[in-house]
Amino acid sequence: MEILYSVYEVLWFVFIVIAGIALIEGYFYYHFQFYDRRWFFPAALLGFPLAGAAGCFAMGLVTEPVRIFLWLLGSEGLIAPFFRHIVKGRSKLAYLLLAPAFIGLALLLVYPFVFEVYLSFSDLKLTTIMQWKNTGYLPFVGLRQYIDVFTTSPLSEVTFWALLGRTLWWTFINVFFHVAGGFTLALLLNNHIRFKGFYRTLLVIPWAMPQVVAVLAMRGEFHAQYGFINIMLGKLAAAYPFLAGLGLGPVQWLSNYPLTTCTLINIWLGIPFMMVVILGGLQSISSSYYDAADIDGASYLQKLRFITIPLIRPVMMPAVTLGTVWTFNNINVIYLVTGQSGGTERADILVSALYKAAFTYNRYSYSAAFAIVIFAILFFVSVFYLKSFDAAKEER
Amino acid sequence: MNKEAAAYRRKKFLKYLLIHAAIISFVVICVYPLLRILSVSIRPGDKLFSTDLALLPKGADFAAYVRLLKETLFLRWLWNSLLITVTTSFIGVSLASTAAYAFSRFKFGGKKGGLILLLSTQMIPAGMLILPLFLMIMKLGLMNTYLGIIIAYSVSSLPFSIWILKGYYDTIPRSLEEAALVDGTSQLGAFYRVILPLSTPALSIAFLFNFTTAWNEYLVARVVLFSSKQYTWTLGLFELQGQYITQWGMFAAGSMLVTIPVLAVFLYSSKWLISGLTLGSVKG
Amino acid sequence: MGLNLKNLIKGAALGLFPALLFLTSCSRPKSPLDASTIIVWEQEDAQVAPYIDSVFSAFKRLPESKDIRIIRTHYQTEDLRQQFQAASLAGVAPDLIMCPSDTAGLFAVSGFIRPVDGLIDASKYNKAVLQAITLDGHIWGVPVSNGNHLMMFFNKKYVKTAPKNTDELFKFCANEAKAYKLDFCMAFDMGEPFWLMPWLAAFGGWPIDNKTPTLDTPAMRSAINFYLDLKFNKKYAPPECDYNCMDSLFKEGKTAFIINGDWSISGYQQHFKRDFGLALIPKLSQTGLWPAPMVSGKYFMVSSGVKPEKLEMIKRLMDFYTTSDNQIRQFKELQRLPALAEASKAPEITGTEVSRVSMDQISKGRPMSMATEMRAIWDSARNYLGLATSRKLSVEDATRKMQQNADLKISEMNR
Repeated sequence: MEILYSVYEVLWFVFIVIAGIALIEGYFYYHFQFYDRRWFFPAALLGFPLAGAAGCFAMGLVTEPVRIFLWLLGSEGLIAPFFRHIVKGRSKLAYLLLAPAFIGLALLLVYPFVFEVYLSFSDLKLTTIMQWKNTGYLPFVGLRQYIDVFTTSPLSEVTFWALLGRTLWWTFINVFFHVAGGFTLALLLNNHIRFKGFYRTLLVIPWAMPQVVAVLAMRGEFHAQYGFINIMLGKLAAAYPFLAGLGLGPVQWLSNYPLTTCTLINIWLGIPFMMVVILGGLQSISSSYYDAADIDGASYLQKLRFITIPLIRPVMMPAVTLGTVWTFNNINVIYLVTGQSGGTERADILVSALYKAAFTYNRYSYSAAFAIVIFAILFFVSVFYLKSFDAAKEER
Repeated sequence: MNKEAAAYRRKKFLKYLLIHAAIISFVVICVYPLLRILSVSIRPGDKLFSTDLALLPKGADFAAYVRLLKETLFLRWLWNSLLITVTTSFIGVSLASTAAYAFSRFKFGGKKGGLILLLSTQMIPAGMLILPLFLMIMKLGLMNTYLGIIIAYSVSSLPFSIWILKGYYDTIPRSLEEAALVDGTSQLGAFYRVILPLSTPALSIAFLFNFTTAWNEYLVARVVLFSSKQYTWTLGLFELQGQYITQWGMFAAGSMLVTIPVLAVFLYSSKWLISGLTLGSVKG
Repeated sequence: MGLNLKNLIKGAALGLFPALLFLTSCSRPKSPLDASTIIVWEQEDAQVAPYIDSVFSAFKRLPESKDIRIIRTHYQTEDLRQQFQAASLAGVAPDLIMCPSDTAGLFAVSGFIRPVDGLIDASKYNKAVLQAITLDGHIWGVPVSNGNHLMMFFNKKYVKTAPKNTDELFKFCANEAKAYKLDFCMAFDMGEPFWLMPWLAAFGGWPIDNKTPTLDTPAMRSAINFYLDLKFNKKYAPPECDYNCMDSLFKEGKTAFIINGDWSISGYQQHFKRDFGLALIPKLSQTGLWPAPMVSGKYFMVSSGVKPEKLEMIKRLMDFYTTSDNQIRQFKELQRLPALAEASKAPEITGTEVSRVSMDQISKGRPMSMATEMRAIWDSARNYLGLATSRKLSVEDATRKMQQNADLKISEMNR
């Protein structure tokens, strides 16, 4: 019975979501379609704010319908002329297609983002938190938090700049191996072979498993004495003494090479995702290209270089860009691998340092400023990257 | 049968042997940790870590599975997760497929800005959003309901889905649509009848991504849900983790069980991962 | 709007809408936050939940509290802290939280919890456990159990009588442990400063004096050197071993001794049955002092957002939870020592070996400070202890930087 109830509940929520989308679409449809009618302004200025205020009041979101009405009236007073004089119904379909996605994202992220920006310019910490709760007011401190981000260490000694350099390096290495590994596997799987679906399913296991246990299990394999890797290294060195002569042997992974360990684990985790994306991308290449190349007698590598790689770029690019952003902000692996042990700030990247600083010392404003700085770095790097990608595309 | 054909066959056989060998070695690397977790789940004594390399531990039993199913609401959690995940995946992919079409086929003001905006939503360190998210969910009265979660999950995978679908649509020749448009179909009709059927690989990637992300999500669920009947499996399973003592046996057993649906979805998606564009003529 | 969406809407409108309209009229979950509901958040290990629930339902069976509802929600330790802060800010904090004292300082300073000075009779409880929840002259929580302290456990298969001091311990390690071919003689989490504190005390130090860190001391240097000796010279302890590692080594019989908290007792009892032995952390022969583990406990803390009319009800619940009977039952079921002085003297507690040794260890311990400065101390100590024990930094440099860094972080936190 409870299960039935949960189905009903979710169906109801789906209905609400769909109704919400319909509302958004209706609202924009009106503005795009009827922008030049004579009754456009009066109907918009009266109808939407009234409906909005009534809706909010009915759902219990506000207690004062008048205030929300005036607020909505004000915003509609800006929106309606905008549509009449500037948009003029152009690109109607495109905007209508985009509206639900973007409004959803705005709902989820605009408030938190504005909140973080506000925090980063004020001083919220343990001793001011009650004052903030009771009065809703926080002292404005200007750029102090931002100055702190660049001049003091979020952890013990490591500076912001060292962390930044390490983060860039970590991101580059990880994304490089994700793509390289994913590409290799995808190419291998893209042959006419038996058990393809079966292999593919097994290969996505690292992605499919709950990350926490996956990482903790891998961490165990890196243990200095009992981990699989060291035992194998030890056996290898014992069996082939010349390898030992080259310096191969058991390594204290966690205490001596924490960042390497994290990187290896993260590469292992990230390859399957890239593999699936690239496998999908390979499907977008029409076989006629290869047939033509075969007639010309192109070698395998030539086909790879001149057909496969350029043609899967449109599909790869988003995955690589987003993969870069995610890796830059990846906390799970580093936190789970090094979180408990000491002396590991050598393995921290910007975000993991941010979380440690934020949750250890409750310096809310400082960590908000730190988060904004991370955001800004990522933003500029990716805008630059996309610009260069576009430039490359135009050259071709 | 001449010699040349035999040599060709041998060469081909060798090639496939090599391919299989390479794939199998990768498969081993991927599967081994899963087997380790399996062995944690059947290992007596709640130990995550073992000094023993044997995959089948001494005194192995399925007590952890039995306890997990009997003493906790695990099946209920699994059900909740499944419900949420499937719902959000469908909503997410529907929204993304249409939005991506706009990005791929139309020219409009703010197109580039929109794409970058999508990307930038992924750049805020997620842990920083806990406090504002809590305050917002609270204000909207969405505490302890799935509505907030469904919206949050559907929306948070959008950037990736839109980007990947846009990239894929871009590779589909416009001539295919134009032919349909000439036949008198509307723009949306062309999208529905021409583009969507050709994009199943990208759609299934987007779906898989939505599915795994929502399935494994913890942060938002932790903020929103607080009654154990409503929990998703992530919340339920982490309940087994205490400050010092974690019931690793049950934890690992749960992890094994929650991996199965994801693998099933992947296995099922196989047939969608092959595009109409290249169907029947995949070359290596 | 896409056609697929249109179809979806059509389907939903035609098929579901009437049904939904009908159903919504009777449901939609109601918020349970009313005047006779107590909301409790805890961060206990999963095996503790049934006990807590049983006490709560016994409380609800009392005639005077038959209308009271209690809602218990579990969080992981870190989650509890974050969620409690967020909920307090949003004005929807739970009435009670049950957690160890280390987050109490934070909640007290930020004003999220209220002192319980007037609510309880402080004289009923053991001194140390109260001291661990006292800050700036106020008591910030009602102690539920006493302990959370480290002690030593051993495997009786290898060890017949527990060593009294480190000389005896090392003698065992040098002789019998070798004979049994153990991987290591002892194992404990040497990366976590919590495990260092008993030894620090045995060398005559303590990490905090009132609110000032005292880390750059000869005692700290001796304690770290003691670690280095154990790891690298004597090789009695594993060079790289965290909590899960030491736990596995001990459970698999690959080490004879482990130092672990009282929270692990019931698990080890189940695992080892008759082979489970426990003892005080042996006296440090070098100085003749007993190692002093940090002692605290679990506490009920009252949210500052609790309405005055609810306080009476909450006070009754806390009193009921810590009655002598319940304290003894808690010991029987969870092996947690009572915080109530009267219950500590009960024959059930003094009569068994486990509780006698545990109580004895508590009496050798020192209360853990709840000052927020402790966070900086833990953090700094963890970092430089790690660097020193993996020999990346000399002991002198490590302790000096440990102190500097803790001071710096405290000043940053307070400015």
